[in-house]
Amino acid sequence: MMTAERGKRLTLEHVSKRFQREGQAAVEAVNDVSLTVEPGELVTLLGPSGCGKTTTLRMVAGFEQPDAGRISIGDDDVTTLMVYRRSIGFVFQNYALFPHLTVFENVAYGLRVRRLSESAIRARVRQVLELVGLPGYERRFPNQLSGGEQQRVAVARAVVVEPQLLLFDEPLSNLDAKLRVQMRAELSRLQRQLAITTVYVTHDQEEAMAISDRIAVMHRGALAQLGTAEELYRAPRSAFVAQFIGRVNLVESRVLGITGGRMAVALWDSSLGVPAGAGYAVGQRLSLVLRPESLTLVTDSTKAGEGEVVVPGVVRNRTFLGEKVEYAVEVGAAVLQIVSYDPTRRGVIDVGARVGVACDAAAVRVLGAAP
Amino acid sequence: MRQWRVALGVAGLVMAGLAGADAAETVNVYTAWPESLSQPIFKAYTAKTGVQVNFIRLSTGELVARATAEKNNPRADVIWGAPGDGFAAAKEAGILEPYRPATWDRVPAELKDREGYYTAVAKNTLVFMSNAKLLKEKGLKPPVSWSDLLDPAYKGQIQTADARTSGTALTRILSIYYAFGRDEDKAFDYQKKLHGNVQVYTKSGGGCTIPAALGQAIVCIAHLPDAMEAKKKGYDMVVTFPKEGVAAVIEAVALVKGAKNREAATKLIDWTFSRDMQDLLDKNQVYMLPTLPGASIEPSVQSLMKEAKLLPVDLEWVGKNRKRLVERWVNEVIKE
Amino acid sequence: MRRDPVLAPAVLLVWGAVGLFVLYPLGRLLVLTFWNAGPSLDAVRGLVGDWTHRAALINSLVLAALVGVAGTALGLGFALLAVRANLPRWLTRALDAVVLLPLISPPFTAAIALIFALGPRGLISYHVFGLTRVNIYGLSGTLLSETLTYFPIAYLTLKAVLANVDPNLEDSAFSLGARRWRVFRTVTLRLATPGLANAFLLVSAASLADFATPLILGGTKFPVLPTQAFLQITGLYDMRGGAALCFLLLIPALAVFAGQRWFTERRAGSFVTVTGKVGAATRVKTLSRTAVVALALVCGVIVALVLVCYLLIFAASIVRGLGADNRLSLAHYAHVFSGGLKAVRDTLVIAVICMPVGALFAVVLGFLVSRTRFPGRRTLEFAAMMNYALPGTIVGIAYLVAFNDAPLALTGTAFILVVCYVFRYSLAGTRATSAVLAQIDPSIEEASASLGARRDVTFRRVVLPLVRPALLAGMTVLFIRAMTAISATIFLVSLSWSLVTVRILEGITNLELGQASAFSVLVILLVYAAVVVASLAMRRLNAGSLGQAGTLLGG
Repeated sequence: MMTAERGKRLTLEHVSKRFQREGQAAVEAVNDVSLTVEPGELVTLLGPSGCGKTTTLRMVAGFEQPDAGRISIGDDDVTTLMVYRRSIGFVFQNYALFPHLTVFENVAYGLRVRRLSESAIRARVRQVLELVGLPGYERRFPNQLSGGEQQRVAVARAVVVEPQLLLFDEPLSNLDAKLRVQMRAELSRLQRQLAITTVYVTHDQEEAMAISDRIAVMHRGALAQLGTAEELYRAPRSAFVAQFIGRVNLVESRVLGITGGRMAVALWDSSLGVPAGAGYAVGQRLSLVLRPESLTLVTDSTKAGEGEVVVPGVVRNRTFLGEKVEYAVEVGAAVLQIVSYDPTRRGVIDVGARVGVACDAAAVRVLGAAP
Repeated sequence: MRQWRVALGVAGLVMAGLAGADAAETVNVYTAWPESLSQPIFKAYTAKTGVQVNFIRLSTGELVARATAEKNNPRADVIWGAPGDGFAAAKEAGILEPYRPATWDRVPAELKDREGYYTAVAKNTLVFMSNAKLLKEKGLKPPVSWSDLLDPAYKGQIQTADARTSGTALTRILSIYYAFGRDEDKAFDYQKKLHGNVQVYTKSGGGCTIPAALGQAIVCIAHLPDAMEAKKKGYDMVVTFPKEGVAAVIEAVALVKGAKNREAATKLIDWTFSRDMQDLLDKNQVYMLPTLPGASIEPSVQSLMKEAKLLPVDLEWVGKNRKRLVERWVNEVIKE
Repeated sequence: MRRDPVLAPAVLLVWGAVGLFVLYPLGRLLVLTFWNAGPSLDAVRGLVGDWTHRAALINSLVLAALVGVAGTALGLGFALLAVRANLPRWLTRALDAVVLLPLISPPFTAAIALIFALGPRGLISYHVFGLTRVNIYGLSGTLLSETLTYFPIAYLTLKAVLANVDPNLEDSAFSLGARRWRVFRTVTLRLATPGLANAFLLVSAASLADFATPLILGGTKFPVLPTQAFLQITGLYDMRGGAALCFLLLIPALAVFAGQRWFTERRAGSFVTVTGKVGAATRVKTLSRTAVVALALVCGVIVALVLVCYLLIFAASIVRGLGADNRLSLAHYAHVFSGGLKAVRDTLVIAVICMPVGALFAVVLGFLVSRTRFPGRRTLEFAAMMNYALPGTIVGIAYLVAFNDAPLALTGTAFILVVCYVFRYSLAGTRATSAVLAQIDPSIEEASASLGARRDVTFRRVVLPLVRPALLAGMTVLFIRAMTAISATIFLVSLSWSLVTVRILEGITNLELGQASAFSVLVILLVYAAVVVASLAMRRLNAGSLGQAGTLLGG
């Protein structure tokens, strides 16, 4: 019976791991990572390849040992515990289904280890196969299944043992794009239904944003920022995060003045008023986060309104993508990315046209400031 | 890629060159004698005449088989130094050409084929070679009779040659046959009993000398030269003869039918039966008796041979019955 | 079949060579056996009626099965230790080096050394353990010697198999709560089953064809087929009987070969392919400490035994007479380089000539078979492999029968030796070529064709350079085999060309054990040097797994 048991809390404290390869310098794969995954929560470790997310996941699973730090599941310190003693379910990128066993035997593997009775095993396997949408597949072999089906069996196998922690290592990257979108919705639904604490690893930011409760962005072995998708998008704390989540125009700026709770920052020969960040001083350099969809193209004669800055530019490139148009607009020495939605109704601007780029103060974020 | 073509070309040329034969005055010889014995003799011949002797050493069986297979296109000119029974088989297979060396008449009748197909260069015989230390350990006297070897004290302690591969074995079978007064059944009965004490049958005649020398077995039944070699190497061995007697076998020489270097071959055979060569048997410590009367004999060999009762062997009969005797040995003696 | 002006002649040439040097001699052998002025089964009937031959057949099969099992088990133990025990690098290298020794030695080495070590007054059995009733002759001695000689084949095969098991599969099982032993049993071993079967067949085949070891250790109580065939000819002067015995041996040899091919062929979607990311630097801890210790003990004993054997050989080569006169002496080596120099020179010349000829043949054959399509392709592939599959005794006798007189009288020349080696030992090169070609996309050759190059130009300028590592591998194997072969070539030596291995056998026969040992040591050193040079060259050519001794010697 799949009871809606809430999983345990996962805690990583200052976890580090170093790899020593022959003849090369040691590589800091994971550097002082601390985070907590609440019971039933799905946290994604997101980052480019080599950022340490998979290594972190494998340490949580027990396939690797951290060089420093502590890992706890619930109240138990599992840092040095062997992998087969932890109550985890692991789904691999290449599914790792046992090719010599049927689907039934694959799924039943963990249950046999736990010495359940034959009837209990049969019942549970049947139940979980229905859960993942593969009823009646018991007798097939992995090489007779499609990618998506194999993936579901892998999930079924991991989940049937009722682990306290569910771990996914880029499970969708071997599937084609459409299937990926479909599968991630299903995985998300499944996870919520089972309410098992889950750690998910991917390099695909859209996937992360679609399914996660919170996302931990990792960069070069360290945790860059932990937050919900919205937090990460709206208030990135570093240029890396800003550029990794969605697309961004980062503009260099300076504090021009601070009055009360607001400060004036320079933006293209003008200034904008934004909420004052803590610890900023006049004259301090900072970066402004301008998302492409928050910039509007107007005629080059339009004047700036209240709390708005307009700067002249020239359209250098235009890509029509159906529901949106992406523009590359040259402003001064820089090129800005701008996105405009519903172009069929709003119209499309030609390459070479002189335009005005309007930026509303409300859409501007200071990099590193609170949301 | 050019290097490839060059390499292939060179290889091709070399191959082509190799497919041909050698030039220069040579005579090609197959011999069953160990290199240590034959090499010096051939060297002496080359030194004397300048003729190159190309030889390979093969066991008697391989030698006859090889020569028979090459019947239509013989590679060897002379079969020099192999047990008489091998020549009987070779004669039967029709690969020999009769040739009487210059001194043929002086060689005693029992030491040559009546029709001149082959002539004995040396006389050989069988001995019991025992490990002195082991004998002492076991409190045994050196065996001086065929029946001595049936003593249970020798169980698993006797090594001797396998009749399927070694001419020495045939000497043994013949010795037993003649020692039992040519009663074949009695002889094979004895050999069946002897088999119970045998540790292993060696591939070559002298194959048991080192094992016996090293103490892996007490007794080795082998040809006299093999036994003397071991003694010469410094091993502490006792050489005895069975009092019932041992067969006198010959090592012979013959001309191959269709020999490519016939003249050089006949010259070699003539030299073999000269005083020069026969003396070498003594000088080089070959430990076989020369066949030409008047050749010198090493004193220790002479004294040893005095003790031996040498039983004469009918070469014709051996030639006709060799195969049958060996088969009988295989089917009755060693069958478990 | 694509109309190609170069393909047809190449195929014909290869067919011609194979027909002449593989099928024709076997045909002559067949005729000799089954034709005696009319078709006749006399030879075979005579054989089957003879108890020694019946015994030989059973013994051969039993021995092959036992050696197969023992060799595979031992090989698995060593492979586990090498791949899964996390040994320090120097130790694995040392292990590889020691295990390699039996594969590159002349054939009698183990047998002789074992007689010294475990014979009736053996150094180990008597002088160390005080046992007097140890019988090294017969089944037990032959089994031990052959196992020691051939387990490296299993080791090399299984090492590759174990290394290729998808570590994610084992991690999966761990994550599901299974402990080490269970994972090993239910996942690792099951996945390695085809590899184990393959190793078993390889080792069995080697034992089946082994002529040298039983010759020395078999004794009359334990006849086996290859030795019986040899004895039938050389002891009883019976060519026909020997030929008939060859055919008795042919059947199990072919069966084992077919089985082994079947296993290597069914790679498709099978158990040991690795897909996707092979887990970041996985340390698959499948071996627990107790397992490591247990394995280390067993393997340690074997390693010690192997080392003792080789030490004995070396010792025998530098003393006057091992066991009796232990004074140091270089006389044996002096003989090797004076009286034995011809054999050394001849063997080296033959080995060196074999290399380019055989390598080229192997590459061309490998290319034709794996990259082109023409009618009879599979048959050609099979025929080309026959001389490899068959025990050397059969090939040797067949060549003796076929090439002694017209139409092609080749006995006594180097040509026949080179041909014998090339057609017997090119398989490694052919396989290496196929393996390399499998990794090269056909579109590369198509690109060359689209740029106007004819087939042979493409072959020369595109394929050959890419296939260089395979060439090198093939040549190395040929060299090694040429230096250590005996069972076929004992029938082919002649007045003009002598071989070191035959000299070793003669030495053993004449109890010039010191000389035989000196020759053996020389061969081992030469072959070892060749392997080292080849491995280094492979590394330079960036050949990856091809450069490892495994591919070179694993058969």
